[in-house]
Amino acid sequence: MIALMLSLVLAQGYAPPRQGQDPLDAAREERVQRVGKLLRCAVCQGVSIADSPASMARAQLDKVRELVAAGKTDDEIFDYFVDRYGEWALMEPRKSGVALAVWVAPLLLLVIGLFVVLNSFKKPTATAQIEAPADDFLDQVRKDLEK
Amino acid sequence: MKRGIAVTVSLVLVAGLIFILGNAFGKDPHEVPFKLAGKPAPNFHIKRLDNDQVVSLSDYAGKPVVLNFWATWCGPCKYEHPVLDAVSKEYGDRVVFLGIVFEDTESNTKSFLRENGWNFPQLFDPKSTVAVDYGVSGVPETYFISRSGIIVKKYPAPFTDPEKFSTELEEILR
Repeated sequence: MIALMLSLVLAQGYAPPRQGQDPLDAAREERVQRVGKLLRCAVCQGVSIADSPASMARAQLDKVRELVAAGKTDDEIFDYFVDRYGEWALMEPRKSGVALAVWVAPLLLLVIGLFVVLNSFKKPTATAQIEAPADDFLDQVRKDLEK
Repeated sequence: MKRGIAVTVSLVLVAGLIFILGNAFGKDPHEVPFKLAGKPAPNFHIKRLDNDQVVSLSDYAGKPVVLNFWATWCGPCKYEHPVLDAVSKEYGDRVVFLGIVFEDTESNTKSFLRENGWNFPQLFDPKSTVAVDYGVSGVPETYFISRSGIIVKKYPAPFTDPEKFSTELEEILR
């Protein structure tokens, strides 16, 4: 009785869970899940629509399913969500355009860092080879010591 | 020469970092971007809660439309409800107001509306397809659609002041 009353009270204040669509055939459903893992849930914090238990995420995954069933390519599906939420909708930045910098910049920084480190190792050897400048006073001292 | 190259590379890196940080500072990291402003509003075909009649956005072609996504489980939506009712009474002859129920049950919604009244059609979006098409990121959210069917803007928070709502409305009435 208490459980029934609690469920009635709680049902008033929370969004009711909603069933997602039936899965497609195995090959296309695998694609739905793979694409879903790369799309951000609009009502969650940093979770993909394939991993989120939120009803809205299920609705977004249903949209992916609908687009896959309609024969859309992965890029066309990503574009649908980017048109609404911008690049924010993607869990991974695209490997093209300005977003390519996000992938290239760390490698570039690594190369620059390696160059700087290697260069700093070379310097002591180079300086060691440099002969000391002529100093008349020191020459005189050496001569006096040899006497 | 080498020193010049090192200074130039450092300056480019620092400038890049300043650009990235400057771009992100002052922005709410939890804010969900909205990119449909200035684009045609997606059409929909969903039923009214009061008479089960199917309603499409295209039924209101040539008229400014206000779409309000809401739910009975959402506290701020409840505060907003009287504001929406008041504004729809004032502007109802010039602007089409449509409520779209988000992630809720018909019975919960009907019960809430019976108690609190409703002044404009409430539509039921059982599979949240309309919400996904409109890029909803929570409720309440209000979309302002121009006479030519273009989404002028989205207001992603509850309206608590009718004056503020009126100001936003004037933009689609121009």
